[in-house]
Amino acid sequence: MRIDVHQHLWSEPLVAALARRRLPPRVRRAPDGWWLDLAGEPPCQLELSSEDVGRRAALVHLDGVDRALVALSSPLGVESLDPDEAADVLDAFHAGAAALPAEFGAWASVPLRDLDGAVGELERRLAEGFAGLCLPAGALATPAAVERVAPLLDALERREAPLFVHPGPAPAEAHDVPPWWPALTDYVEGLHAAWHAFAAIGRRAHPRLTVVFAALAGGAPLHLERIAARGGPLASAFDPGLFYETSSYGTRMIEAMVRVVGVDQLVHGSDRPVVEPPDAKAIGPATWEALARANPARLLGARALAA
Amino acid sequence: MTADALEAFARELARARERWRHLVNHDPAQRTYGLLHHDADVMAWLICWMDDHDTGFHDHDGSAGAVAVIDGAVREDRLRLGAAPLQRIVRAGESFTFGPADIHRVRHAGRRPAVTIHAYSPPLWRMGAYEVDSSGALRRHSISYAEELRPLSAA
Repeated sequence: MRIDVHQHLWSEPLVAALARRRLPPRVRRAPDGWWLDLAGEPPCQLELSSEDVGRRAALVHLDGVDRALVALSSPLGVESLDPDEAADVLDAFHAGAAALPAEFGAWASVPLRDLDGAVGELERRLAEGFAGLCLPAGALATPAAVERVAPLLDALERREAPLFVHPGPAPAEAHDVPPWWPALTDYVEGLHAAWHAFAAIGRRAHPRLTVVFAALAGGAPLHLERIAARGGPLASAFDPGLFYETSSYGTRMIEAMVRVVGVDQLVHGSDRPVVEPPDAKAIGPATWEALARANPARLLGARALAA
Repeated sequence: MTADALEAFARELARARERWRHLVNHDPAQRTYGLLHHDADVMAWLICWMDDHDTGFHDHDGSAGAVAVIDGAVREDRLRLGAAPLQRIVRAGESFTFGPADIHRVRHAGRRPAVTIHAYSPPLWRMGAYEVDSSGALRRHSISYAEELRPLSAA
């Protein structure tokens, strides 16, 4: 089975839950269409008409894969809302994801202000068949932050379920930046910090956990020489339990990552509908098979089929 | 890593049976590979060979390599212009090295399936796969190490 480990989908329950909110994160209907308001980013227009589930399922096949795993978008910041507020959106996300056709699986998300509750929530979602846990990179931004979410990482390890580190949320600040700003600054920096924080203490505390970083972890392992020069965690660049998904990148960056971490650690992710995947043919047939089939099977284990 | 150190590394891995025993897996259709080691300086693979398995002529771009034969035998051909390739058979217990500038081809030799250890430093990245076209011109295809090496012509 070929898998795309990183998609998002604006399901009807999720849109309805975000539309019920008065404050960001929320969606609102304006005369010119639907808009998404986030605390740290400029408002962005949503193309909900292209979110038809049948159309998205057809795209999975057109992309050359059999299944896509959808995640709640971490830049929304839902996980860090007050637990009661978060619950309404999270329940809607999971209900929407569970109702999708067989072309889709999903990552679970949990409220992060109440970690005791979050562990129970995660156990329940994994039992329901969710592929693993999606955490915002911001929740792993420092070694102390990785320690804080240790109960969640323990639970994943116990259940042999993977962690998906997704960029976001961007720090709440003024909106006078171009629309691409967060994706090229905050997200990349946040993924670097999460990769280093996990390398610094996460791997020692969770030796069997498999982790997949979105967007090639912003290329964090490419800084191999700098990691060595500054006494950083060099071994993490060759950790067989750390995977990197390829969304928003093409052959040049993928090849650069192949040079450092090796082809076995890369998995295909598209980040649809935010961006389109690169042409699979340009990647090379054996590399594509590794990214879409063999490596996701190692990352997800039995969950690759069950999710 | 120097050629000598790389060859010593491959031979040491060949002796460490517990590192690779579980990866021995012969497939008549193709060579099988198992990654044994990967760090900033060196990458090592176990490769299993059977009849007719053949890499075709190739180079290793910027990497040097060492091959230690554990079981069976392989034949190495070094490409020469205007002369037949320089051949040697490498048997169980023996090893050989090559540099980034060498162009060679490795084939399974004999009837017994072969098992070999291949170490590359710096870790393998790009490779050149060679084809001789119908006019006799030699053409180099740049491929990722992740792509399977196979003969691209009757060379």
